[in-house]
Amino acid sequence: MRLVSILFALILGISIIAIPQNEVIAFSDQQITRGAYGDDVIELQARLQYLGFYKSKIDGKFGYNTYWALRNFQEKYGLPVDGVAGTKTKKTIAGYSDYDEKWVKAQLNAGNQFTYYGSIPLDQQVNKGTATGGSGSGSGGGSSSGTSNNNGTQTQVPPKYTERDLQLIANAVYGEARGEPYEGQVAVAAVILNRLESPDFPNTISGIIFQPLAFTAVADGQIWLEPNDRAKEAVIDAMNGWDPSENALYYFNPKTATSKWIWSRPQIKQIGEHIFCS
Amino acid sequence: MKTWLVVLTIAVIGLGAYSIDLHGDKEDLQRTVLAQYTDKLTDASEKLSHLQRSVSQSLLFQDEQAIHSELDSVWRLSSEVRSSIANIPIGQELSNEWMNYLGRLGDEAKRTAKTGDYNAWREKMPQVSTNLQSLSDEWSAATVDFYKHNGKMDVWLQQVDNKNPNTNFDKVKDTLKGYGEKDFPLTLSESDWQKKIELKALQDAEITEKEALEKVKYLFPVIKGATFTVTKSSDTAPYPFYHIQFHQGIRLGYIDLTVKGGHLLSYLVERPVDEAKQSQEEILKKAKEYAKKLGMEDVAYVESRENHQAWHVTFARVHPGDNALIYADGVQLKLAKDTGELLGANAMEYIQEETIKPQTAKPIDWKTFFQDDIQVQEVKNIYTDNGQFEQRLCYEVIALRDGKTQETFRVVIDAENHNVLKVEYLT
Repeated sequence: MRLVSILFALILGISIIAIPQNEVIAFSDQQITRGAYGDDVIELQARLQYLGFYKSKIDGKFGYNTYWALRNFQEKYGLPVDGVAGTKTKKTIAGYSDYDEKWVKAQLNAGNQFTYYGSIPLDQQVNKGTATGGSGSGSGGGSSSGTSNNNGTQTQVPPKYTERDLQLIANAVYGEARGEPYEGQVAVAAVILNRLESPDFPNTISGIIFQPLAFTAVADGQIWLEPNDRAKEAVIDAMNGWDPSENALYYFNPKTATSKWIWSRPQIKQIGEHIFCS
Repeated sequence: MKTWLVVLTIAVIGLGAYSIDLHGDKEDLQRTVLAQYTDKLTDASEKLSHLQRSVSQSLLFQDEQAIHSELDSVWRLSSEVRSSIANIPIGQELSNEWMNYLGRLGDEAKRTAKTGDYNAWREKMPQVSTNLQSLSDEWSAATVDFYKHNGKMDVWLQQVDNKNPNTNFDKVKDTLKGYGEKDFPLTLSESDWQKKIELKALQDAEITEKEALEKVKYLFPVIKGATFTVTKSSDTAPYPFYHIQFHQGIRLGYIDLTVKGGHLLSYLVERPVDEAKQSQEEILKKAKEYAKKLGMEDVAYVESRENHQAWHVTFARVHPGDNALIYADGVQLKLAKDTGELLGANAMEYIQEETIKPQTAKPIDWKTFFQDDIQVQEVKNIYTDNGQFEQRLCYEVIALRDGKTQETFRVVIDAENHNVLKVEYLT
C-alpha cells in the first residue's frame, strides 16, 4: 500500500514538472483541420498567434493561414507535420500558450480589430470597432458560446464568393421569397448565381441584383429587410452548387407578374408561387 | 358646431399642406432617379461611339504595340458601355442583347491580345465596325424616346413593359439580335457546352413516375415513408425531369431525377439541426460512404466547409487515365452536424460528364516560374475550364508567400502550354 502511494506521488510529481505551467483545460476533444470553423478554431488561432506562428485575423475559420501556422508549430515542436489539430497537437499548444477566452470573445463580439501576441500587453493589441471578425460555435465548439452572428462571419463560402455576396443575395432572397418553401429560396439564389455565369447579365452580384427592373424586392424596398438564417442557409446551399431551378435565369409569380414578356420565356418548373424559366 | 367646423377646416388645410409636401418630395426623388438614368444613358451613347472608333482604329496598324493599345481600349470601353447599359431601365430583353454583344466583343479583343491572332481579328472586325456604327446611330435615335416623357418615369416604364414592339429601342433590340448571331456565332466549344448542360448526351431509357419513386426510396431510405408529390418538368424545359417534393415528420424537401435513366440531379432536405456532435473526421468518413451509396464510385475528396448547421463536402470525378481530378464533374454533399445525416446531394455536374481530350503535361521548373519568395506547397493534376469551354489538363499549385503576413494562392496553370488560367487568393 505504501509502495502504491509512493508510486502515485512520484507519477503526480513528474506530471506537474513535465506539463508546462500554463496548461489549462483547453479545446474540445475533437480533431480539426482545414474547412472547420468555430470556437475550437478561434482558440487554435489565438494560441498560435500567442506563440507568434499565426499572423492573420482571428476569425474562427480554419483556412490556409491557420493551416500553415499549425504546420510550422508542429515542425518546431517535433510533432508529426500534418496540419491537423489532434489531441497531441492541441495538448502541446495548450501547454506552451495562454488563452484568455473571455477577452478574445469580447473583442470578437464587439467587432474590434485585434491581435493576441503573447509578447505584447493585450490592451495594446486592440483597435476598437474596426474589425470584420466574429465568433462562432462550430464542430470543435465543445464549450460553445452560442450562436451569435457577429458581422456575418459565421459562414464559410466557396472561395469565388465573398461574405458581401452572401449578405446581398440573402437580402434579395428574403425580400423576394421569404414566404416560399426552402427549395424555392435556394432556387431564387441559384437564379442570381446563374445570371452571374451568363453573358447576358452584369458580371457582379450587385450589378445583377440592382439592375433596373430586374427584381421586385429592389423596386418595393423589401430588399432592405434583415434576412433570417433560413435565407442565408439557402444562399449557402446555392453557392455550394445546389440549383433547384435547373439552370433557370428568370422566375415570376404568375398571380402578380405584370410583365408580358416574361410569359414568353421557356418554362422549366414551378416551386411554390414561382415559375422558373430559361 | 362652429368649433367642429374650425377643427375640420384646420385639419383639411394641414392634410393638404402635408400632401403637397409629400408630392413635392416624390417628384424630387423621381427627378434625381431620372437624372441618374439620363447620365448613364448619355454615357452609354458617348462610349458606344468611342468603342466603334476603337474597333475601326484597331484595323489601322500592323505594329503589335499599336494594335494592343486599341485592343485594350475595345476591351475597356465594351466593359464600360456594358456597365452603363446595365443601369438603364430599358427592358430585360434589350439589356440582355446588349450585354451579350458587348461582352463577346470585349472577350474577342482580350483573346486576340493574348493569343496574337491578329489575322482573325482583322477578318472579323470590319463588319463588326460597320454594325457598331449602325447600332450607335439607332441607339442615338432611340434615346430620344427616353427624353420624350418630360421626366415621367411611370409613363416610360409602361412603355418598356409593352408587349407589342413600338419604340426605337425595340428596333435596336432586333438589330442587335441579328448582328449578335452573325458577328459572334457560338464556337464549337460553346455549343458543346450548351449541349452538355442541356444533358443531350443522356441516351438512357425513360423511367416512369413509379420507377422514379422507387429509386428515391432506394437512394434515400431515411425518407422512404414520406408523403411524395411528383410533378414532371414543363414541356419547354431543356431536359425532362421528375420534381419530387416530400414531407416526413420534421423533414421537408425535394429530389430532381432525370426522366432519361432516372439520374439524380439534386436532393435537399430541410430539418431542424441540433447541437454539433459529429467530428470533422466522422463527417468526412460518412460523406465518402454516402457518395459510394449514391453510385459515385469514381470520385475523390476535394474539400469541405463547415457552417452553422451543416458541412458541405465536395468530390470530383477522377480521370481513369491519369488520375487527375475533373473539377467540372463535381459532386456536392451536405451533412448535418448533429447526426451526420445526408441533408443534400448535388450531382448535376457529375451526370453531365465531361469529354476529355488527350493532353500532355510538360513539367515546369517552379523556381523559375515563381518569384524567389514563393514556396510551392502542393501540386495537383486537375482538369478545368480554360474560360473558352475547353477542359484542360492543369497543375493546381498551392503557393505560399511568407512575408510579414503569410499569403496563400491557388494558381492553375495549363500543363501543356503553361498559360496561367486562374489565380485565387486563399485565406
